[in-house]
Parts: sequence; structure tokens; C-alpha cells
Amino acid sequence: MLGNDIVDLNLAKIQSNWRRKNYLDKIFTVEEQLLITSAKKPDEMVWLLWSMKESAYKIHNRKTGLRDFAPKSLKCSIHSNNKQTYGEVNIQDVIYFTKSNLQTAFIHTIAAPVYGKLEEIKVAIYELPDHPDDYKSTKPGCVSHHGQYLALVY
Amino acid sequence: MNKEEIIEVLKTIIEPYSEEVTALAHIDENTDFINDLKINSANLVDIVLDVEEKFNIEIDNDSMAKMLTVKATTEIIAQKLEAHAG
Repeated sequence: MLGNDIVDLNLAKIQSNWRRKNYLDKIFTVEEQLLITSAKKPDEMVWLLWSMKESAYKIHNRKTGLRDFAPKSLKCSIHSNNKQTYGEVNIQDVIYFTKSNLQTAFIHTIAAPVYGKLEEIKVAIYELPDHPDDYKSTKPGCVSHHGQYLALVY
Repeated sequence: MNKEEIIEVLKTIIEPYSEEVTALAHIDENTDFINDLKINSANLVDIVLDVEEKFNIEIDNDSMAKMLTVKATTEIIAQKLEAHAG
């Protein structure tokens, strides 16, 4: 099972004000909030952590069949921080492995239940107006859509 | 505040976060924030914060976890208001 999540950073900027009072506290653990407040680019860190949580949740949700909105219970840790950022998301002691692609216009994270699978995942990212109409027929393992972007993983 | 009154206030909170005009016009108990109203999950947090402010209640993480539909959200608000009053 695969997960993926794309954040259009230009849309995120106008769609969400994470500096709103109590906002971070509803979503992020104390450790994650520390990563954000100490980051050189706090906006990037917010959406990196968010995309990690979303991509891991998409696997966990399909696996368990349970649906909930508990972002704070999806605990992220980040291992490196350059163009390819690896991380782990712990959901009720189940670990999901993530790899994120940080660009100036978007952040894209892929997730897998096994670390070794990450390098096998094929990624296709489309920007408007170039979204393929028939992408469903290609049977992607996970679909993510935000703003200008459509991200598919196989 | 009865259930209908809570839903009316909730509608005004939800509206700015959805572009699904038809679904917004037909909000009822069974409306799902993500599946029907296509609300971005990062904006679900805004809805929770707006609910806290508008109703003057505190939504704990366990309650927030259930807030994916109008029905669940209305029930949580009613419970918190009752606890507040009592």
C-alpha cells in the first residue's frame, strides 16, 4: 500500500493561516512545534510535516478502515533535511516511512509501510492545465490533489 | 440551543471553507465535510477553532477526531454546551 500527499504552497499560503492562535497546537506534537519554531523556513516545515502526516494517514486509514481527524496522534520525525527529506510517521506504534520532495512551489511526500519500498515508488506530478483526464485508468496506488497539482504514485 | 439552532450556526462556520455550492445549499446531518463539501483537511482545523470561538467551548483531541460530519460535530457541540451549562 502506498500513500502520497502534495501541498501547493501558493494555495496553502492563502488557504490556511497556521499562525492563527491554537492552530499548531491542534495538529502538531510539542516536538513538531519545536521543529517549526526553530526552522529557517517555518512555512516549509509546517507543510512538510503536514504532508508527511497526510501521506501516512492515507495508508493507515485504508489498512484499518478507520476514519478520524487526529493529526496530533500521527507523530513525525525527520531524518535529513535537504532536497530529499526522509522521515517516519508513527501512528499508534505503527511506523510509516516517508520521503519528501521540497520545491519552491510545492511539497510532495510519498509514504510506504516498509522503508525499502520508498525507492521503488514511481511518482507522476502534473501541473494545471496539464492534468490527464484519464489518470484513473492508469490505476495509481494513491492520488493527491491540491491547487495546481495532481500527484500520482505507482 | 437545540440541534437545529446548532446546525444553523455550524453552516455559517463551514461556508467559507467549501466551494461546493450545491452541497452547501443542502447541508443536513449526513453531510460529510471532506467527501461532500470537499473541505481541505488543513481547514478542518479552522472549523474546529471557529466552533470553539463561536460556541465558547473547548474541543479536546478525542472530540476533534470525530468531527468529520455535521452529525458528529453537532453532537459534540451539544454535549459540550450541556457540560458547560451544568
